[in-house]
Amino acid sequence: MGKGWSVFFGVILLATFLLWFVAPFYGWWLPNAVSTFGPDVDWLFYLILGFTGFFFVLTQVVLIYAMWRFSYRPGEKSTYSHGNHRLEMIWTAIPAVILLGIAIVQISVWQDIKYQSKMPPPDVTVSVMARQWEWRMRYPLETSRFKWDQKATPEEVRQKQLAARAWAENPEIDDIPIANEIHTWVGASTKIYLRTQDVLHSFTMPNMRIKQDTLPGKTIPIWFKATRANTFFDTNTRKLRIPPNRADAWEIACQELCGGRHYAMRGKVYVHESRESYEGWLKHAVEQSNSREPEKVAAAD
Amino acid sequence: MSISQPIPTHDHTQIELGFLRKYIFSEDHKMIGIQFLFSGMIFLFLGGALALLVRLQIGWPYGNLPMVGNWFPASWGGKMSPEFYTMIFSMHATIMIFFVIIPWLTGAFGNFLIPLQIGARDMAFPKLNMLSYWVMWPSFILMLISFFVAGGAAGSGWTAYPTLSSAAMPDGMTGSPASPNSGTGQVLWLISLLFAGVSSMMGSVNYITTIINMRCPGMTLMRMPMTIWAMFVTAILQAMALPVLTVAIILQLLDKTIGTTFFLPPAGMAFGNWHTGPGGGQPLLWQHLFWFYSHPAVYIMILPAMGMVSDIISTFARKPLFGYRPMVYAIAGIAGLGFIVWGHHMFQSGMDPRLGTGFMIATIMIALPSAVKTFNWLGTIWQGNIQYTSAMLNALAFVSMFVIGGLSGIFMAATPVDVYIHDTYFIVAHIHYVLFMSTIFGIYAGVYYWYPKMFGRMMSETLGKIHFALTFLSANATFYPMHIIGVGGHPRRYFDITIYDTFQHLQPLNAFMTVAAIILGFVQFIFVANFFWSLFFGKKANRNPWHSNSLEWAAPSPPPHGNFEGNVPSVYRGPYEYGHPETQEDYLPQFEPNGPKDTPGGSH
Repeated sequence: MGKGWSVFFGVILLATFLLWFVAPFYGWWLPNAVSTFGPDVDWLFYLILGFTGFFFVLTQVVLIYAMWRFSYRPGEKSTYSHGNHRLEMIWTAIPAVILLGIAIVQISVWQDIKYQSKMPPPDVTVSVMARQWEWRMRYPLETSRFKWDQKATPEEVRQKQLAARAWAENPEIDDIPIANEIHTWVGASTKIYLRTQDVLHSFTMPNMRIKQDTLPGKTIPIWFKATRANTFFDTNTRKLRIPPNRADAWEIACQELCGGRHYAMRGKVYVHESRESYEGWLKHAVEQSNSREPEKVAAAD
Repeated sequence: MSISQPIPTHDHTQIELGFLRKYIFSEDHKMIGIQFLFSGMIFLFLGGALALLVRLQIGWPYGNLPMVGNWFPASWGGKMSPEFYTMIFSMHATIMIFFVIIPWLTGAFGNFLIPLQIGARDMAFPKLNMLSYWVMWPSFILMLISFFVAGGAAGSGWTAYPTLSSAAMPDGMTGSPASPNSGTGQVLWLISLLFAGVSSMMGSVNYITTIINMRCPGMTLMRMPMTIWAMFVTAILQAMALPVLTVAIILQLLDKTIGTTFFLPPAGMAFGNWHTGPGGGQPLLWQHLFWFYSHPAVYIMILPAMGMVSDIISTFARKPLFGYRPMVYAIAGIAGLGFIVWGHHMFQSGMDPRLGTGFMIATIMIALPSAVKTFNWLGTIWQGNIQYTSAMLNALAFVSMFVIGGLSGIFMAATPVDVYIHDTYFIVAHIHYVLFMSTIFGIYAGVYYWYPKMFGRMMSETLGKIHFALTFLSANATFYPMHIIGVGGHPRRYFDITIYDTFQHLQPLNAFMTVAAIILGFVQFIFVANFFWSLFFGKKANRNPWHSNSLEWAAPSPPPHGNFEGNVPSVYRGPYEYGHPETQEDYLPQFEPNGPKDTPGGSH
């Protein structure tokens, strides 16, 4: 078959390459990014996709061409060579520079997402307790209770952060318990304190490009700020109005194996159109929670 | 420098051993290698069957399973339960990694090739070698028994993260409260891996000693074939990393059995009505210890294949290996860097994010030696005279697929992208491009190439090529779309994605991949048929059927006890003298005294 193998490799590799161009048309692609750092993450993804795509094409084309051009010729000999020092230097140095560059441009976005020191003052603070197999949220009665203003001294910021963490670890009687729902409003910086009462879980909101494992015995803060809304609380009907299209149904998923029903830890993300809509919903939620038995509130944590 | 062989006190070839000593409790490195090869093949099919069950559930969630459905308890109604699903993907990974890939690469090929390629009569410690195989059997048996204990086999993934895996079993409870699969099954899993680790450790000590001390006259380090370099570095990796895994396993075993709290948090945890007592441990500690072994283990699972593929490509391109020294340095570089990148598995784990920045830079830079290796393989076939044997096709597929598996790793190494891509199907695609598409193709290449030396007969090239073509096609169809659904956010280890608005539109690709996986599974029977048919009816092989240069081809096919007739061979040059302009033939074996004497192994 000789050169035919070159064609065989070529056809299959071309198919895999083309899949990247076909998939977005079927919607098999990144879901909408709706947080402030979402576009940054996507940009870095495309950057790496570009570089890896280039080296994929380069190496595979060389491979397939060589398989075609240098297939067996009886009686002939190959070109006798043990290597080339200059080539080795070139193909070590160029990828080294590119790889180091790729690594360095990641750093600032990573800091924005995960470094606690970089997290902005929170408009909304939520405590999330994970367990097999649901997310139990608590909202403080007073919105923006743990926010500090821009002129706060580092010591004041530290005191606020400690107070928020202490609140996340110690439920208060007027907290509002909700299962499997994150509520905030567009443009509000939202801080979530993650805990778990049993095994590891991973709190993931694909549309917000955020993911964080929960660890037994630890309280881990994450934050995000939504750039689009998908919810409006109608004060007349006392119901959430949610757009019907799938692209605006933002969800929470667990992405660290946590037992049999790992796949079923589904939650929802409601980003309200305004602070008023959020507070309208919160007031409604307070009434709902007051009508329940008090011990149910305590059991929520 | 090399040390000459001890002079044998008796003629090895004339000892007649009984059946038991020859085939079962053999101390001959070749027979031990073949034993590892056969047991690996058995477990490849078990692990593959589990993979197909996993794929059936993902392709058609809650579907009635044909045939296998009848084996399930009546209460399941012929469908799989989520707990059962969790168990089978955990066992698929465990079996494939610890019973197939590692034993095949180091156990089968390492044992068979090291003494032959360095011109030794056997390993340095033949009895230890025999023990390293037989210690695998308690491991095999315990793992198989674990399927039948209450709660089933381990179901906390092959990574066995506490506290899902490690929460102790309180008095009167047979299963752990964390998960029905993490009871007795998990204890057996831990003990089983303890035995597998002991086996690997015995092997690695033996390989290191043999390679350092028992090379034949003239076999300097820089004349060793790449296979030997890869096995040498792999053995060092194993010797340094395995103790850490062993310790971690023992600690988890203590947590589960006598109620210590190495991996349980200081504050009480609650599973329903059950609470942990006062403790002082840390669940994250397991992840550090586990990945401190298991990341180097990823290289243990690819480096030997890289070495074998280097030899095979040079042989069938009829051209010297391009850049021998850079290739050696690249292997050493991968191994060295491999010890400081384990944290990239833990970017989202709750580890301090500042630590993540450091691990990211080290991890991205480890792509460099891999890139150098790829370029040198391409340099080897460039201007070659390529013979498309089954072995060569599989080796070329290794190079092509390793590029994909290597490049996709950069996405996960980049911490911000990893925030999104972590624990999605993108990582499943990545590991399968490295471990299946690269390592398994490398192993197939090795089997086709060394089969004549192992069994004295040739495998059918026609069947070999049909097997290769169908495997290459169906494996790409199975694993490539996993990149795409990973970009779509499809989480790994999910029983059913259709309940999510975000993921449900990816389901048609899941069904497609399941069909491809079933084809891939059945195609492997062609390989098995070829393997066993050739064992009895294959064409008789001569000493050197591929016109290769390295020392194993100086021995008869198959080599007798003691490997070489008369004295061990002497080595006059490096192993890659193909297409030398001053010779008649297009190859010049290492053991051939005539011809151009010393040629540089490197690129200088």
